[in-house]
Amino acid sequence: MAAEEGGCLLVVIVDTNPVWWGENCMQTESGVDENQLHKCLDSIMVFCNSHLMLNSENKLAVLASHTDQSKFLYPKAESATAAAPPSVEPREDVISMATGEESNDSMFSRTNGPGSCGEGKQTSSDGRHELLAQLDDSLIDQLKEMILNDSSQDNILRAETMLAGALALALCYIHRMMKEHTKQGLKSRILVIKAGEDSASQYLPFMNAVFTAQKLNVPIDACLLGKDSGLLQQGSDITGGIYLQIPNPMGLLQYLLWVFLPDADTREKLVLPPRVQVDYRAACFCHRNLIDIGYVCSVCLSIFCHFSPICSTCQTTFKIMGRPGKAKKRKLLPK
Amino acid sequence: MAASSESVLLYISNVRCKKVEGTLYIFETRMAWQQSSKDIFSISHNYADIKMQKISPEGKSKVQLQIVLHDGGSTTFHFNNPEGEQAQRKDRNEVKELLIQLLPRFKLKVNKELEEKNRKLQEDPELFKLYMDLVVSQVLTADEFWANIANKPDTGGGGAPQSVGVSGAFLADVKPQSDGVNAITYNLTTDIIESIFKTYPAVKKKHLENVPHKLSESEFWTRFFQSHYFHRDRLTAGNKDLFSECAKSDDQDLLAEAWKVSENPLVDIANFYDDPEDEGYGGAAVDKTSTTHQVNQNMIRRFNHHSTMVLKTADDSAGNKSTPSVSNGNTTLPAAAISEASNGSFADDSSCSSWVVEPPANKRSKLIEKLEYDDLEGEETRRTARLNLVKRDRYYHGPMTLQRAEYRSNDEIIASLQAFTDAIAAWQPALPEVLPSSIAVGVMGELSPGGVLMQGGTTDALLNQMVSQPIQKDMKAIYISLCELLRHFYACFPVTSKALEEKVVKMKGTLDRFHMVKMRPFQESVMRQHYTVNLTGHLDEMLQAAYKKYEAWEAKKTGGGRPR
Ligand SMILES: [Zn+2]
Ligand SMILES: [Zn+2]
Repeated sequence: MAAEEGGCLLVVIVDTNPVWWGENCMQTESGVDENQLHKCLDSIMVFCNSHLMLNSENKLAVLASHTDQSKFLYPKAESATAAAPPSVEPREDVISMATGEESNDSMFSRTNGPGSCGEGKQTSSDGRHELLAQLDDSLIDQLKEMILNDSSQDNILRAETMLAGALALALCYIHRMMKEHTKQGLKSRILVIKAGEDSASQYLPFMNAVFTAQKLNVPIDACLLGKDSGLLQQGSDITGGIYLQIPNPMGLLQYLLWVFLPDADTREKLVLPPRVQVDYRAACFCHRNLIDIGYVCSVCLSIFCHFSPICSTCQTTFKIMGRPGKAKKRKLLPK
Repeated sequence: MAASSESVLLYISNVRCKKVEGTLYIFETRMAWQQSSKDIFSISHNYADIKMQKISPEGKSKVQLQIVLHDGGSTTFHFNNPEGEQAQRKDRNEVKELLIQLLPRFKLKVNKELEEKNRKLQEDPELFKLYMDLVVSQVLTADEFWANIANKPDTGGGGAPQSVGVSGAFLADVKPQSDGVNAITYNLTTDIIESIFKTYPAVKKKHLENVPHKLSESEFWTRFFQSHYFHRDRLTAGNKDLFSECAKSDDQDLLAEAWKVSENPLVDIANFYDDPEDEGYGGAAVDKTSTTHQVNQNMIRRFNHHSTMVLKTADDSAGNKSTPSVSNGNTTLPAAAISEASNGSFADDSSCSSWVVEPPANKRSKLIEKLEYDDLEGEETRRTARLNLVKRDRYYHGPMTLQRAEYRSNDEIIASLQAFTDAIAAWQPALPEVLPSSIAVGVMGELSPGGVLMQGGTTDALLNQMVSQPIQKDMKAIYISLCELLRHFYACFPVTSKALEEKVVKMKGTLDRFHMVKMRPFQESVMRQHYTVNLTGHLDEMLQAAYKKYEAWEAKKTGGGRPR
């Protein structure tokens, strides 16, 4: 369908929240084959292969969103493979890598397109398509490298996924690819495969990323393995992506192929799960309750569930316009 | 007699209305009928309200005259002169003849109002629907309807009447038609003539002087178009021509305009030098003496003059009374300019512009220096409000719903981290076995229509298919009407004046009527369709809310003094 139009860039963001996955692994430890993590990773891999096979022009990037960093699993950072053996240094995220030791290179010049990546790697021996073999190998290597050499876990224990950072990285990558492929008119979309819970502290960065995606015309699809995510519901709804919480993670591949593989044009012609009703209510700044109607500070836009004469966020004092009815009543009462 | 101040043009006794004997009066602005025994007019129609009159056909036993009103009502008068049919017919015809004369005088006014209303209805289909719902079904009277509509911000017209300006191209718009021989026909409308008079007062003066004593109307205009005055270049304007004087006065006007501008030392008219770039490529001096240049300059002057005059007409109509000086600008012309103008040298273009340029540039800069003071200028740096954040975190991160996050002990976290790391270490992709067929089939079921994941969210679409098109349309109309009525109802609150009080009561009555006449039948028709959803529930709720408001207000009013 999109064959004449020059392919589609898909950025897959995989939530590798170790706490959530670890708990899941422990729960299902009864059967060895039933390991959800392995099934899901395999499914994602097959899905990525499918995307690349669908159209020779299709492009792909895979990002891991961890608790303390976001990392490109594919295409892999060039210098990381060429120059450095798996780095021992604790890395906050890819961006801090760029400002670190190899500061002569920007991050984006190192994360190369599929064509040029990993030429030093062994060619496939089992007759697999070279590109797909590279993809698979890169995914496995990079993921293992990230998890197993992760030495930062000793000091702070975090259970939240850095989803907003991963989204921002994905959007940067998309932006760059769109600029490089202006002639073909590259279409892009993001798929978030989310496991853990929403993190409250990322609300604004996440929303900023979502609105950027909306502006770039990049739909954000969301596939939820675990609990519903209010953030992603809003994100998908705003950007026109699909939000789906799947009942059975063991069948992840089927969901991915059925719902998330078709591009935007094709989706119009398919009968897909209906849109969820998104709760856009805002939470008040004071108690973090969801409210329908509230008071908004005219200066800093903080939301409050009750009126207070001084904004507790920015100390603005509000003039109170007395309601005419009240004043009159008071005058009448003494009689 | 009741209305003695009005002059009675005609009165006819022995006129029956609704089988009651009485007298018919024809006044200047209205017609009225008085019952014999009483001394008030029980029927009175302003001529402006009358749409037309109808008479009974010849040979009918009763001699009647029917008055049809604009709002659809009618009154029938039966002429019952005891002297017989002949006299009755004579009476009727007298009335008829008089009305024929009188009615057209009021027609114009009425037509305008009606046209305006018609226009509003035609332009706004929603309004039209409202009109049909509210007025035709007699929930509101037409007058009430228009009074309420008039409250709405009026987009078309309204306010002070605006006079139509003069089109800049009105002369060019007179498209002469050639009859194939040598004659050319100009079709002049009154509009065009009006425009010409407005723009060229001199021509109007000529017209007053010559028509109709010396020339006929058409002869005047023929001369006008034949005259050089109308033609492109007026270099050869002879003295014999009727309009040669006009040309002179035009030049005088132009001079006066130029003088007016040159009087303001802050305007540098010399800056606008007409220097076409294609001649001499912007650098070399332009040959001013060439005749084509002269002709062009004349053309431009004429265009400028024309534009000036057209603009002035707008000026005149805007400040009609306040600034009469615009039209007699000539009288304020300085003596020098007049002498200059009267000796005829103004035909030479260059001399004209040369004295306009007089005020030198440095004089202007000196004036500016004197007029403007640096220390009186506003300060450039403006103080901006600073955001004084006390709770930085909150501002940057914004609110999230209180996390019902499960609490995990550090041990648990470490344990799950370990499990995760182990799992990743043990991971060996087994892609061919990734999806057992049983699970794939199960998921397919979930994603097929009717499956677990395909439910919900479709109620809107279903409702759209479920409810028949006509009902949807009716429902929309009812919603619009009801909301409009409720808007007026709520606009009465707070009830601060007697007029508002009356209006509230009236609106309540209107709502009641709407409820009975419009909503009930609709609700019943919806009931008959046996929909599973309650379609009219919200309409009811809105009405009930209004009723409650009304009752509360009424209780407060009647229970006035005693506080509760
Ligand atoms: Zn609150
Ligand atoms: Zn504030």
